[in-house]
Amino acid sequence: MTKPATDTNAARADLLEKVTGRAVYASDISVPGMAHGRILRSAVPHARIARLDDAAASALDGVVSVLTGEDLPTLAHDRWGLFLNDRPVIAGEKVRYVGEPLALVVAETPEIAEAALDLIDVDYEHLPFVDDATAALAPDAPLLHERHESIADFYFKGQAKPVDGTNIFQNYGVSTGDVDAAERDAAHVFEQTYTFPGISHFAIEPHSVVAAFDGGRLTVWSGAQSPTAVQKVLSRVFGLALSDIRIIVPFVGGGFGGKASVKIEPLVVAAARKAGRPVRVALTLEESMLTCRRLGASITLRTSLDRDGKILAKRGTILLDGGAYADTGPAVAVKAAHCVIGPYDIANLEIEAKAVYTNTVPGAAFRSIGGPQAVWATESQMDEIAEAMSIDPVDLRHRNLLPRGGEILDSLRALDADIGEMLGQAGQAIASLGGGSAAGIAVAATDPGILPLGGSLVRVLADGSITVMSNSVDIGQGVRAVLRAVVAKTLNQDVGSIRVADPDTATAPFDWGTGASRSTVIMGLAVEDAAQDASDQILELAASIFDGAPNDLRLVPGGVARGEDVLSFEDLYHRAFGIDSGEVVGRAMVTPARKGSDFAKSPLFWETAVGTCDVELDEMTGELAVTRYVGVADIGHAINPAGAEGQEEGASVQGIGHALYEQLDYREGQPVNATPVAYRVPAAADVPQHAHTVLIENGDGPGPMGAKGMGEGGILPVAPAIGNALARRYGVRIRDLPMTPERIWRALRERDHDAS
Amino acid sequence: MSSIHEITLMLNGDPVEAAVAAHTLLVDFLRDSHALRGVKRSCDMQVCGACTVLVDGRPVSSCTMLAVDADGASVVTIEGLGGPDGLDPVQEAFLEHGALQCGFCTPGFILATKALLATNPSPSREEIVHHLSGNICRCTGYQKIIEAVESLAR
Ligand code: FES
Ligand code: FES
Repeated sequence: MTKPATDTNAARADLLEKVTGRAVYASDISVPGMAHGRILRSAVPHARIARLDDAAASALDGVVSVLTGEDLPTLAHDRWGLFLNDRPVIAGEKVRYVGEPLALVVAETPEIAEAALDLIDVDYEHLPFVDDATAALAPDAPLLHERHESIADFYFKGQAKPVDGTNIFQNYGVSTGDVDAAERDAAHVFEQTYTFPGISHFAIEPHSVVAAFDGGRLTVWSGAQSPTAVQKVLSRVFGLALSDIRIIVPFVGGGFGGKASVKIEPLVVAAARKAGRPVRVALTLEESMLTCRRLGASITLRTSLDRDGKILAKRGTILLDGGAYADTGPAVAVKAAHCVIGPYDIANLEIEAKAVYTNTVPGAAFRSIGGPQAVWATESQMDEIAEAMSIDPVDLRHRNLLPRGGEILDSLRALDADIGEMLGQAGQAIASLGGGSAAGIAVAATDPGILPLGGSLVRVLADGSITVMSNSVDIGQGVRAVLRAVVAKTLNQDVGSIRVADPDTATAPFDWGTGASRSTVIMGLAVEDAAQDASDQILELAASIFDGAPNDLRLVPGGVARGEDVLSFEDLYHRAFGIDSGEVVGRAMVTPARKGSDFAKSPLFWETAVGTCDVELDEMTGELAVTRYVGVADIGHAINPAGAEGQEEGASVQGIGHALYEQLDYREGQPVNATPVAYRVPAAADVPQHAHTVLIENGDGPGPMGAKGMGEGGILPVAPAIGNALARRYGVRIRDLPMTPERIWRALRERDHDAS
Repeated sequence: MSSIHEITLMLNGDPVEAAVAAHTLLVDFLRDSHALRGVKRSCDMQVCGACTVLVDGRPVSSCTMLAVDADGASVVTIEGLGGPDGLDPVQEAFLEHGALQCGFCTPGFILATKALLATNPSPSREEIVHHLSGNICRCTGYQKIIEAVESLAR
């Protein structure tokens, strides 16, 4: 693939700041007069706080203030949430998981704050706890929340359906056709259960927030993926006008969903308010691991087929472990329910997804919410079915795949990719890496939950430099490069003249947030529209000066031209405004009603993925390695090709981590490996020696230049592709992630035992 | 509180004299006293390599080294690479190969690579992977990082 020069250049500016160490992240922010906060966390999974004595801590030299549950009554709203109002700003009468913030000490230095934590005395009145989702469903399970307060259309469209008197905070179902009848007619019915653990985001920059009040106005610097969600929640909690809250997001050291919605911001702001000083709280990576995680899942699938391997019906029961607070868990359940269907033509469906509270770290969005859990189950089962029916696994998929334009559910947009063709490309690519004869394969399609609401400003300054203002956050996915490329193309300017400002709610228009692979499409269109608006205004101005119609004019780098005559922006503004200053501001807000777009049906595009791999097993130890990996994604158009490829590679290696070793482990309500030392993420040595990414670009997406969103799909097929390769080559099937050496070794022993 | 020590060191090529508390970590000394914010802090327990700096040419986790132990040493951070007129070849290779996304791990990887190439100018893929095992990147999947380092091997 040849890369247009401008695309590479667009990425270079941000990368340059990062390779030189000049890029500023949230954890690099400091403001005058700033004090430092450290958090005391619950040591127990579930308890009433009988007594919390912070007198000695408060008296320590250098301590400014201590925030505790006693301060909750001073807030306009003491609890917050996005679907359910379930999370206290700081633990009040009880704690619900090990790691929950109980007290926040603010001191002159982090060391003093840390020392003061030891001086706080807590008496717990222990309550029965539940650290497992199945147990949380039992009729006599301890309840984490006595009542549920669901909020509608707050940040996500619709609302969660909690069940009173239970730990269930979301209950979502899909039902089409007549599954009972189809099962009666079926030649084969397969039922299996697959499990997927809670997984840590492990973004390399931990959560970090600085909060400063200036009179009644609040400024927050945070590595937040959704600045406007943070702004909205803070406005509720502290009773401030949106216009009095400014959220600034510098570069973010990795998000993956773990910095989406709202995390520690309300807590830090409450501490700053009490301290009467700006406060910085920079978590350690270990603390970030106690802040959020991917929801674990247990998924039972009952799939019925006719004699020829055509799927007649599918029943799915999904149970998600949502942890102590719902956060975006209700949306995760919806996505898992859709994703578990697969890109297949199935007339009869009964899918039920429940998410429950447990006394564990709160669940949260994580790269393709609910997707990897669902695809692990669906695509593992497809291979189990293929094997039982003696059908080639690729062939079984071909017999059931929806064509381009087919409908997974009638309520959703038709499929906009040809997954059969992607399967073919995956097969060719792995063969050209010298493998594939016993490869595992998996396919996936997911409907990103995108709210088409986001705006931007494009300011063309007098000297020809251009500032783009947007609340899309650079979490490493290179969104600024994409926006720069779109503006450069629309205005026909050099990418080097375009700067994308840090997201800042005081200056950039509303945007729903950075996640769900939406920024390239939504913010891409917003800056394209804003640039077009600027272009229209400039040509209008120029027409009056050239004394011609705007149609005879065109933008050229640095100015406007009619025929051979070129007028620089500076000269244009000089003649139009009387001084050689001023600017033209293009503005745009993408909404569900955007002209020329079909945003009526969701998703705006499907994120599709095919993964295939070869594995190598050490049968003595159970150690499994991925030797070749190919990922195929249909992304419409790669505006930033190197960035797009990098997203796919990163997603596939994260997927290898999920498949082989990642798991947030609980025993007796205690997280036993929630530390960077004990929790293993992939290292350079775990990367397949031969890897390749195929990007399909048909220019058929809804975004600028025909782009679709991307960045999440690549993680979906990884675990089942590995599991399927293991089963195909070595004859052992693992249904519980991660596929640790111990699990594989046991399965090998069983295989050999069965054989003898 | 703990005692104060006078230390002298070369910091990014410039001589520096400082008074540091005995318990001050090198990462804090560099970030807070010298505004070298390219030294990143993540795990704080010598797992991730984000805080890597070069001490007498060797890659060291500054989150677990005391500032006083840098007395007499030469310390190089990401800010000390390249010059006003250009990037260090390792920085250039990371840029060229797109070997970074969020960039938070990048200073550590670049300095670890500098150290590798100083002792082994033509490392094999295995040697690269082995040498970088103390640095974690959660974004890139390492592929492009390995390619960038391979491109520098002579
Ligand atoms: S912060 Fe020093 S090794 Fe992770
Ligand atoms: S680029 Fe984000 S951790 Fe490496």
